[in-house]
Amino acid sequence: MPDARETRVLLASAEDPALRTLEGYKRLVGGYATQERAYREMEQDEVLKELEDSGLRGRGGAGFSMGKKASFLPRGEMAKYLCCNADESEPGAFKDRELMQRNPHQLIEGIAIAALAADAGHAFIFIRGEYDAQADILDQAVAEAYEAGYLGTNILGCHRDLELVVHRGAGAYICGEETALLDALEGKRGNPRLKPPFPAVQGLYGGPTLINNVETLSNVPHIVRNGAEWFKGFGTEQSPGTKVVSISGGVRRPGNYEVELGIPTRELIYGLAGGPEPGHEVKAFFPGGSSSPVLRAEEGLDLPYSFEAMAEAGSMLGSGSIIVADDRVSIPHLALRTARFYHHESCGKCVPCREGTNWTVKMLERMVRGEATPMDLDIVSSVQQNIIGHCLCVLGDSMAMPVGAMVRKFREEFEEVMENPDLVLDPHAVVRGAPETLGAAT
Amino acid sequence: VSPAGREVTITIDGREVAAIEGEMLHDAARKGDVEIPYFCYEPKLGDPVGACRMCLVEIEGIPKLQTSCSTPVREGMVVHTRTEQVKEAQSAVVEFLLVNHPLDCPVCDKGGECPLQDISYGWGPGRSRVIDEKRHFEKPIELSPLVAIDRERCILCYRCVRFSQEVAEDSQLQLLERGDRTYVGTFDDRPYVAPFHGNITDICPVGALTSYTYRFRARPWDIEHAGSVCTLCPSQCNVSFTVRDERVKRVIARDNAEVDDGWLCDRGRYGFEMFEAPERIAEPRLKGGAASWEQAIAKAAEGLRGAGKVAALVGDASNEEGFLLQRLVREALGSPHIDSRPSRGPRRDALVRLAQPALSARVRDIDEADAILVLGTDPLHSSPILDLRVRKAIRRNGAKLVVATERPTALDGGAEAIARYAPGQAAHFVAELASAVGGAENIATPVAATLREAESVVVVWGERIAREEGAAEALLELAAAIKASDTEGSGLLEIPDTTNARGLREAGCLPDAGPGLSETSAGMATEEIRAALISGELSGLVLFGADPLRDFPDTPAWEEALTAADFVVAFSMHENATTAKADVVFPLETHAEKDGTITHPDGRLQRVRPSAARPGDIRPNILVLSELAEALDLETDTYSQPAAFTALTEAVPFFSGITDEMIGGRGLRWQDGPSAANLPEAGEGAGAPSSLAYLAGSEAPVREPLSASGAKRSEGAPAPSLALGTYRDLWAGPITELNPPLKFLQPQQRVEVSSTDAERLGLKSGDTVRVGQNGAGVEAQVQIKERVPAGVCFLAEGVADGNANALLNGGPVQVEIEKLSEARA
Repeated sequence: MPDARETRVLLASAEDPALRTLEGYKRLVGGYATQERAYREMEQDEVLKELEDSGLRGRGGAGFSMGKKASFLPRGEMAKYLCCNADESEPGAFKDRELMQRNPHQLIEGIAIAALAADAGHAFIFIRGEYDAQADILDQAVAEAYEAGYLGTNILGCHRDLELVVHRGAGAYICGEETALLDALEGKRGNPRLKPPFPAVQGLYGGPTLINNVETLSNVPHIVRNGAEWFKGFGTEQSPGTKVVSISGGVRRPGNYEVELGIPTRELIYGLAGGPEPGHEVKAFFPGGSSSPVLRAEEGLDLPYSFEAMAEAGSMLGSGSIIVADDRVSIPHLALRTARFYHHESCGKCVPCREGTNWTVKMLERMVRGEATPMDLDIVSSVQQNIIGHCLCVLGDSMAMPVGAMVRKFREEFEEVMENPDLVLDPHAVVRGAPETLGAAT
Repeated sequence: VSPAGREVTITIDGREVAAIEGEMLHDAARKGDVEIPYFCYEPKLGDPVGACRMCLVEIEGIPKLQTSCSTPVREGMVVHTRTEQVKEAQSAVVEFLLVNHPLDCPVCDKGGECPLQDISYGWGPGRSRVIDEKRHFEKPIELSPLVAIDRERCILCYRCVRFSQEVAEDSQLQLLERGDRTYVGTFDDRPYVAPFHGNITDICPVGALTSYTYRFRARPWDIEHAGSVCTLCPSQCNVSFTVRDERVKRVIARDNAEVDDGWLCDRGRYGFEMFEAPERIAEPRLKGGAASWEQAIAKAAEGLRGAGKVAALVGDASNEEGFLLQRLVREALGSPHIDSRPSRGPRRDALVRLAQPALSARVRDIDEADAILVLGTDPLHSSPILDLRVRKAIRRNGAKLVVATERPTALDGGAEAIARYAPGQAAHFVAELASAVGGAENIATPVAATLREAESVVVVWGERIAREEGAAEALLELAAAIKASDTEGSGLLEIPDTTNARGLREAGCLPDAGPGLSETSAGMATEEIRAALISGELSGLVLFGADPLRDFPDTPAWEEALTAADFVVAFSMHENATTAKADVVFPLETHAEKDGTITHPDGRLQRVRPSAARPGDIRPNILVLSELAEALDLETDTYSQPAAFTALTEAVPFFSGITDEMIGGRGLRWQDGPSAANLPEAGEGAGAPSSLAYLAGSEAPVREPLSASGAKRSEGAPAPSLALGTYRDLWAGPITELNPPLKFLQPQQRVEVSSTDAERLGLKSGDTVRVGQNGAGVEAQVQIKERVPAGVCFLAEGVADGNANALLNGGPVQVEIEKLSEARA
């Protein structure tokens, strides 16, 4: 059962397995009524205006205004596309998985309405290959939606067509980068493209393309149904709405919690997620997935959980995924583990990311083995500086920002581990994997 | 595509620089003498990829540094390339690049001419902070039999992969693995065998891709670069010879967007070792063996004078050589019989009309054309660099391609419409196409729409179709149908059979036209010369860079003609079956040794410059021809190239006023020269209807083309024999026989048949068969090709064994296929 401190909009009725079916979606939450109204009664510009007015910010990481992004698409007869980014691969993020697994039709309805705003005739859900069970669920739901006439040709008799394809990725974090996603979808090696041109102008197959995250699109039916003003009633002025937050690591009740943006971070970590095990304290946490600069407990716990507060603190809300490191966690090992992930996932196209992630891992490995000198710490820091802002896409920054922050904020711990590699905290007590709170997927 | 934007002013490092709106900042900076380092940027490869991050600069108003290779300039842009922020970023990128680079410059072939080395010195931190182990790969390994790859040196700039995927479109090179484990390779480690693959060694900015032909042969301080033009095919690509101790060690591209776009085919790149092949003729020879120049010239003069009636055939020659030879024949020997074509060709008045500047297309016009018609030729084999040019037009400019040929071409995959006509039916097909473009309904209609709807059309046509009677007239009709003379960018571009065919024609090496396509008393054409030698009407023959026994149709007849001739003088680069029959053999210079001009098929006069020493006792051909003329009492006063060129420009009215300086390093189209208007007026017959007779004097009936896409192929009863089509394979001939590194490419004779005919004849791919007609025959291996139309088969000309020229006799040929042995399982 949902915690009373949550504000469930996207996850409303999520505990009922019937929500996964089209029938249940209609019965439990009044599903597809908004698409019907939008398709029958609303013009493209009306939908677009509602989305823009709502101030909905992208939930995939960048936090850019969804309505504004949709409005960048040129008008005209050319083929336009909508891509749902379901390549959720950031360590610490597992909220899209739950949204797709529990309520696939909410996403499909959101895509159908967003396609109206973007005037797109083809939509794709690019889902990471490892989300096999969720892809099966989506396939099933998409089939149901076609069957019921919410997708396909002449939808609801409104002379609008929308084809929706669920495409499974082959297992690369980089394909969550929107332009790499497009290349992968086109059957090419999934490497980021140079921007500009931005996908809104020249995206999939060269056509204007709107790309949004699962959670962003899942918000769309609610905004169009209840209006922008209703949506702005949740959250803060700059971060309106609710957010499904994935909380993992050193907490007793890891999982996804849907809350109004702006609630105190302490409430999320200690209240909803139960805080660290008794006798332990939060040392630091990633506020927005493993690519966000870590915040020390004393810097971060009392901040409101919003885009603006996290940015002001020098980090970011990102995808809204909190990873907690308690006082047993060795920060140098956490840095190494973080760097190894990005080194493994770097596509190799641009030099600073390709070589920077590799070099950083080698240096951090030497550090935890006790084979480094304080000079190496300065080199690690400068390498992170040399990566930030110099790459083709944000993957390089995604390692350099958190690793840079860890070296900066926990320098003594690094010096300590270099002196006494055997006397450190438990190197494995980094992050306990994402919890299986969802139960069996099928 | 050149940006057509307006001129703007930007500020780079405090200096105002004029630029064109929309061009990349990197290019604008270079024009303004500001050097921004880069690795991955290469406009020849298409859109920038921004991968190397070396060209980051600061642009006022944009918080993050931007890659100058991918930032279009705007009016008023203020750019800084030398600020601390920029220097730190550039130094960081160099440092990153060297994290995994072995820095083995002392033993690296690229050392001294290496962008990574230069940029590391110029923009790098100067000392390394890396103490960790670098990545390792097995090295060097064969990427192909010609190119070695050292993956440790590779900086993954993407250039070679982009070349393979986006220029050559062979897609063989791929990036495998990910991140810093990424490496360049091919599927399943197969060798990268493709006709343009050597270009990757030119564009590699490090020592990762090197040619086996150049590895460890020289260091940059040992060598000189000499610009010239490749004469191995009509593409006439601009090249730069790498010369050490007066010998050619390497051939690299010398960018000329008007000719080659900066690419070379592997023929041109690796075909230089034959300059020093054992078969090279390095001194004059008489029947008994080597002779002095004085002896040989005296003997040749005496023999030619004594032979009575003499003819000359020119193949591979410069304009000056062709001009001097026709003077020698016409003025010293008093004979009108000279030709520069392997068999036959259009009459003078048709040639004059085809040469009208308004009808001719430039190579560059392909880039901008709305539609391209490839007619009767496969550029990959006949003028390889144009294959890339057509691909580029389709890929970057959305040009629509129509292919109309006998044989399937390498460009078929990108074609909007394809028509196949039967061997010998080109003239008929072109005439039909001309009227279909004009709106008529006929067999060519399915492919005509694309041409009709296009504003500008470039027709790339193969000279061999003009061997058919009426073909030139049909081409003129087609030119009229596409409004070539009224439409900017529309026109005809011929791919001739030989490198300098256009230059030789315009220099006067034609039986019915003198220098400048002037009218002369009519002489015999190639086939008539052959017949007259056999009949005894002619008794002497001069062959200049021509090898009839290899390259001309009807080998048995040529055998007979050369045997019947009383006296044969052959100028040749290498020993071959023809020189074995000659009474006097003079050595020829290669394009690395020669001084002279040649004319590109689009009219561009280009300068071939002496770059390497002539081996042995070879003398300049111009000097030899002048001395031979002198021995025959003709004083030419053309003992050097400048004198010969002056004489040529004085004799060819439309060359008048053109100087060597005007030709320079990039060439000059005579149509853009001072005297283009001096082209002779088209004859009275201009605009006259073409003759559609199949071949004058031939009884062969006019048949319909076999198929046109969209048109239904007739499924009549199978013919008992197959019509024979032939083509000149890119790799057939001395190029693969005399260049050891290219030997692996030497083609075997294969007969290409359709699956329908193969089934009917019980043939499988790989079977050995005899392809014969009238007792003559050649052995070949069967290759079943889906795109070969039923009823036709194809053989290659010029191959060492089973040369298809043995079966050709000037008319349409029907052949029988007899199985000799089954393919081995």
